Amino acid sequence: MDFFTALRVSGSGLSAERTRVNLASSNLANAETTRGPDGQPYKRLDPVFQAVAMEGQGGPAAPGAEGAMGVEVSQVVADQTPGKRVYSPGHPDADADGFVTFPNVNPVNEVVNLLSASRGYEANATAVETLKQMAQRGLDISR
Amino acid sequence: MRSELDMIIGGVRPLERPEAAHSVKETSKGGEGTFTGELSKALGEVDKLQVDADQQAKMVAEGGGNLHEMSLALEKADISMRLAMKVRNKLVDAYNEIMRMSV
Repeated sequence: MDFFTALRVSGSGLSAERTRVNLASSNLANAETTRGPDGQPYKRLDPVFQAVAMEGQGGPAAPGAEGAMGVEVSQVVADQTPGKRVYSPGHPDADADGFVTFPNVNPVNEVVNLLSASRGYEANATAVETLKQMAQRGLDISR
Repeated sequence: MRSELDMIIGGVRPLERPEAAHSVKETSKGGEGTFTGELSKALGEVDKLQVDADQQAKMVAEGGGNLHEMSLALEKADISMRLAMKVRNKLVDAYNEIMRMSV
């Protein structure tokens, strides 16, 4: 059904925005992490979005829905800009010169990111809500 | 007199069954492409969406899955159920309309 195509598109948008929130939270949580699993300071993570055709997923594409594209997170990239270096010779993660490299995370940017992702999620949820109202309105025509 | 009667009776031929009646009888068996077949297919689809919504809700209750996928599955199940109810009501209405017909 055509309504379901739009539901799937909105669903993919919701998933993508949730991934963005996940990554922004991860960045915020690790804003001061000087050692990751690889021994390096944490690098901020960014999602890369990619449009995907919604046809053939969960049933045949309804007429009129051929061009509808969903979104998916194609990859998560680590920001390679250098983090700030702080002189702290007593720190266990200090290098030979006594400098500790902190993550390249700016909490202010991350909070703005978080807000943007939250608004994006809301927008997709509103699209679903509108769609539901339209479907119900369509069914009410012949009452 | 007798021959006249015979002639009249002979003129009354048995009613031929119209072709349309044949085809209606044949198509009402519920095969592919018939109304009954399509109806049960659509009902199966509705049932599938209900089961899907059920599974999603179960997954969320168990701590897995995710919330919006569950909401979307519930929404799909809701819309398709409403559509099925609409079709059912229309069918019952049509049936009642025919039953009210004075013969």
